[in-house]
Amino acid sequence: MKPLSRRDFLKVGGLAFLGTAGATALTQQTKHDHVHENNSNEHASHTMQQGDHGDLPGTVGEVDHEKNGFNPSDTLTDFDYGEVSTLPNGQTLREYKIVALNKNIEVIPGIEFPAWTYNGRIPGPTLRATEGDRIRINFSNGSNHPHSMHFHGFHPGEMDGVPGTGPGGLVEPGGNFMYEFDAEPFGLHLYHCHVFPLARHIAKGLYGTFIVDPKEGRPPVDQELIMMMNGIDVDFDDANDFYAVNGIPFHYQNHPIQIRVGEKIRIYLVNILEFDLINSFHLHANFFNYYPTGTSLTPSEFTDTIIQGQAQRGILEFTYKYPGMYMFHAHVTEFAELGWNGMFEVMA
Amino acid sequence: MTQSTVQPTTKRFTFRTFVLLLIPIILLAGVIALFLYTGGGLRLDSPAPVENLDVEKYILKHNNIDLYIRNTGPEELTIASVIINEAVMPFEVMPSPTISRLGRAQIHVNYAWTQGEAYGITIFTSNSIPFSVDIPVAFETPQPSGRTFWGFTLIGLYVGVIPVFLGIFWFPALRQLGRRTMTFLMAATAGLLIFLGLDTIAEALEVAAKVPSAFQGIGLIGIGAVATFLLLDAISKSQTEIKGSESERRLAIALMIAIGIGFHNLGEGLAIGAAYNVGEIALGTFLVVGFIIQNITEGLGIIAPVLRDRPTIGRLALMGLIGGGPAIIGAWIGGYTPSPFLAVLFLAIGAGAIFEVVYEITKLIQKDTARESMPMIVFSGVLTGMLLLWVTGLLIK
Repeated sequence: MKPLSRRDFLKVGGLAFLGTAGATALTQQTKHDHVHENNSNEHASHTMQQGDHGDLPGTVGEVDHEKNGFNPSDTLTDFDYGEVSTLPNGQTLREYKIVALNKNIEVIPGIEFPAWTYNGRIPGPTLRATEGDRIRINFSNGSNHPHSMHFHGFHPGEMDGVPGTGPGGLVEPGGNFMYEFDAEPFGLHLYHCHVFPLARHIAKGLYGTFIVDPKEGRPPVDQELIMMMNGIDVDFDDANDFYAVNGIPFHYQNHPIQIRVGEKIRIYLVNILEFDLINSFHLHANFFNYYPTGTSLTPSEFTDTIIQGQAQRGILEFTYKYPGMYMFHAHVTEFAELGWNGMFEVMA
Repeated sequence: MTQSTVQPTTKRFTFRTFVLLLIPIILLAGVIALFLYTGGGLRLDSPAPVENLDVEKYILKHNNIDLYIRNTGPEELTIASVIINEAVMPFEVMPSPTISRLGRAQIHVNYAWTQGEAYGITIFTSNSIPFSVDIPVAFETPQPSGRTFWGFTLIGLYVGVIPVFLGIFWFPALRQLGRRTMTFLMAATAGLLIFLGLDTIAEALEVAAKVPSAFQGIGLIGIGAVATFLLLDAISKSQTEIKGSESERRLAIALMIAIGIGFHNLGEGLAIGAAYNVGEIALGTFLVVGFIIQNITEGLGIIAPVLRDRPTIGRLALMGLIGGGPAIIGAWIGGYTPSPFLAVLFLAIGAGAIFEVVYEITKLIQKDTARESMPMIVFSGVLTGMLLLWVTGLLIK
């Protein structure tokens, strides 16, 4: 046990109650000052005051989307159908070019995250195809680390993008590989790097959404939105410092998503959060039909909150009845206040 | 002029000497310039930015948290994000989010904190380096005003002035004692002071850990303690040259003990005021009683050298004030502008002063023992003094 000093003996008193006249005088003073402070608030510089309850969590200012090379407002509806052609056997061929790049992404105004990206953006491009299409992905590695692309879905072992499965399992810097397979089964899937250490390769930004539409298509809606839930570990301590949808924390809080009363909305929601066990999605003042993994056209649940573990995903469909501003966020509220919070602006 | 007596034998400071002195400095400037320009062949670019940030104090007001920070890293840094209890909060930095080396800034957050709850704050710089500060118990930071002023005055009174005066009240009783007992008391005082000096050094070392590394807290302790010791020694030597009277000399020593204890109490007041302000301590009844018991020995120490003399009541009161009063001043400073730097400095000065006084007392005891040998009395006295503080400490902690 460490020897105690007179200072320690002071600290012990921290457990004691406020007993002396001096301490009592100070406590009373606190209340006195409190009142005084309210009166003198006018001349203080409170530019972002939220009434009498302090500020809401959030960021002030804007990250440099242009320099980042992507804007989450565009990512929402940015579906990449690839370069389409027809194979001699009549099968539709979709060809995509994906490059792995090191890139600094400004995730919080003033903080650049040294990310690893597909095509320079987080998340990577949303690849979209129809069940049975031939997919060809021309992957090249423009970074200084080995990377790969591992797709969720049916494909041969050598197309799995996992080290040990052949040349596509680990593409060295400067190398390239053609991943080729048929898009199946239909549903909402994802892709990510599978080179080890896996957690770090994913957390640094190497992930994206892969949507396989059923042959007959899904029922038409007015707006389809992509939301990939991610975390950002800026100080590399294997714990997320910020949380987001589509890369940038608080983006849809600062830039509400505009929809209309009565519009049918479909969200492709994917959780790629590293380090934390679960993520969730909660929609305010509404309920949605939920299609886990999008592999069925019949919803499994009518709810307002769903939980997803890592790589879990599902499709949400809903319509707003009333105009107004409605929050959507992780109901793991800690994540919400660290960036995973957004707003729908529902117009009449 | 007509004066022509040249003294070639005396060394004189000539222009030549000046140039010779300057040559190494000019060469040094050249080497530094070369080094800055070329890097001297070393790869000095750090692969990762080295940053350091100290939160010197925080002030909580209704719906407001203000953090006073200092950049103690080698280069300028920029504040990019403030997270309070796992929530990213909008913030303002005054004068600027970019802070130069050793520069200071104030981070302002409109945050609806709750009385009595704990808050953890993480500050991210633009290089994604996190710095944390904990608010263990949130309460309105006392602002300078008549009533808080009185509150801190009371704290100083309890921990400094009252105990010292209580010790001085032993004077009439102790005067009745014989020469050997008085020597014993002097030795006991020396023991008390040695213990107090060690304790002060330990406290200074503890607080030094909170001083920004650029200000070299440990070095500061050395400077404060050594300078004070030597300065008091010089003063005491020049006094003995002027006044030969032994009673005057004993009074001077009592005064110096009072000054040394005064500095110690100043440092202690600073630390208590600061700790009180950040909610690290609440001064409970028990704690104040403990303080009075332990610090009463300080008063005893002040009067021990003058027991065989007849100092006026005014003199005794003055010495009591010098010894105990600084605790009040310390509590004010520590309470309103807590500064680990000042606390370390004053604790170090206190330690230097206390050890110098021990040295003076030793000389007095030597005079007594020269007349009459009493080795066991010195031994038992010093040990009693040290044990007295140790045992009262045991009872209190």
